[in-house]
Amino acid sequence: MKINKTLNGSTLDIALEGRLDTTTAPELEEVLKDSLEGVTELNLDFEKLEYISSAGLRVLLSAQKLMSKQGSMKITHVADVIMEIFEVTGFNEILTIE
Amino acid sequence: MIIELKGRIDSNNAEQVENGIRQQLGGEKPDELVLDMEQLEYISSAGLRVILRLKKEYRNIRMINANSEIYEILEMTGFTEMMTVEKAYRVVSVEGCEEIGRGANGTIYRIDQDNVVKVYNDADALEDIQHEREVAKLALILDIPTAISYDVVKVGDKYGSVFELLNASAFSKILATEPEKLDWCVGEYVKMLKKIHGTKVPAGKLPDIKDTVLSWAGFMQAYLPKEAGEKLLELVEAVPRDDHMIHGDYHTKNIMLAGDDVLIIDMDTLAVGNPVFELASMYNAFLGYSEYDPSLIMSFQGFDHDTALEFWKKSLSAYLETKCETKIREVEDKARIVGYTRMIRRSIRRKGLETEKGRAEIELWKSELLELLEKTDTLTFSLNELDIEASPENLPEVQAFVEERLAGVDCPEKTLMQIGLAVEEIFVNIASYAYAPEKGKAVVRVEVNGDPLSVSITFVDHGIPYDPLAKDDPDVTLSAEERGIGGLGIFMTKKIMDDIAYEYIGGKNILTLKKNL
Repeated sequence: MKINKTLNGSTLDIALEGRLDTTTAPELEEVLKDSLEGVTELNLDFEKLEYISSAGLRVLLSAQKLMSKQGSMKITHVADVIMEIFEVTGFNEILTIE
Repeated sequence: MIIELKGRIDSNNAEQVENGIRQQLGGEKPDELVLDMEQLEYISSAGLRVILRLKKEYRNIRMINANSEIYEILEMTGFTEMMTVEKAYRVVSVEGCEEIGRGANGTIYRIDQDNVVKVYNDADALEDIQHEREVAKLALILDIPTAISYDVVKVGDKYGSVFELLNASAFSKILATEPEKLDWCVGEYVKMLKKIHGTKVPAGKLPDIKDTVLSWAGFMQAYLPKEAGEKLLELVEAVPRDDHMIHGDYHTKNIMLAGDDVLIIDMDTLAVGNPVFELASMYNAFLGYSEYDPSLIMSFQGFDHDTALEFWKKSLSAYLETKCETKIREVEDKARIVGYTRMIRRSIRRKGLETEKGRAEIELWKSELLELLEKTDTLTFSLNELDIEASPENLPEVQAFVEERLAGVDCPEKTLMQIGLAVEEIFVNIASYAYAPEKGKAVVRVEVNGDPLSVSITFVDHGIPYDPLAKDDPDVTLSAEERGIGGLGIFMTKKIMDDIAYEYIGGKNILTLKKNL
């Protein structure tokens, strides 16, 4: 999975490309752990994300919990297949999706 | 004792001929009375009665060199059933002829543009030749393309079978001289193999190779530690009987390209049985026999070890319809158990234990065999099942395997993704919890069911008993702060699959997912 991040002041933009699964979720977790200090706005661009499993959802949940305390998090360009997973698991209510 | 019969024997001279024969015999009673009919042109019923009278006194009569007319008379009158009658065989010379193939029991020469002759090593090979012709006939009837032998000839003091085989090259030669054709060869090789293995043989027509392998395993008892020997016998015993054809010596010297046709020759090892027994002899041909001395493959097949290895791996992958390394290795290991058993026995019977090289070879094969026996539960395999260590690193291979099984199925992209997702959730669950903190294996089986079209994926593990369906679903209405992370994978699986069932049988967790297509 490719993780492209851009930091503008206290806004962190991350674009994901590929699959967010058991194998790749730890990578994202590491990146967030190292990059979220002082960030008030986290934007996740899912345009090129093809697949998400529960491992990915868990990383998003931790990120959401953290960002709720220090600012906001939103996810954009969610593909239909990913959206379905969000809906089935109720994550569409927990996450801010645009 | 050989008596020559010449000219004509009819009612005019029958009595004379009989007296002449008795005079020649002079009261002797040989074990076998051979009547050489090379110069016999005609025999009437009077002559036949003479032979019948001789038969009463001399139990074993063999008539040799009968020309076709005489043979026809003897066949029509039933004499060929009462005693051994051999036809006169055309004599052929192979001097200066190109050797185009060599098997365990004979060498094949091209005698002219259209014909080849297989010369059998054993001068006593007539029965084997007849057997092989019968078997080749059976194969043809069952739609297996093989060369047709239309004549038996004499080559020096040996016998040969003549086949019409235009422009034929053995695959081994193609691999040696046109390496760029390797992938094409693999394709044709596997296509023919699948055809053979897919052919059902009427009962009793061919020997059952399981009996042969059992005898090999029996032989090995004296040369293996008690437990290993017993396990070997058990494993072979447990292989179910199978009435599908196997070739028995399926190496690249026996596959011919004749014009545009691919033919399989050397039919005398044809049998019925489980394909693992065939894969065993194939492993031996490409890798096993030359495992200790890799240069052996060159003298056996005419190409080098690297080519043999590449050909074997690609063929096994194509046969199993998978690129999954774990699957290929699993089946290879099963084939090797039978393969080593055969090679060790063969070597020992050829005094292998009396030479240094022989002993080294046997030692090598034996140590491999013992290692394999330790970790193998069954010799049978299925194309639809993957037996793999349940660890997260193996997830990509498992998902690839499942995708491979669904390749020929009309399955929309989204459904494939959902299936892949369910596979991930279940497999990772097993990997994380079934054996923790130890490691263990899981079996993933994919079945496609028609009418209505659906896919079933079954996961089997022998870890701690765990029913994923017994868990409560997570509350999806909770907020981010309240939301826990547990149970998500199973919940997602339940939602995206159409059916999910769990059983605990025989110490195993069995979870079956079903998706309608």
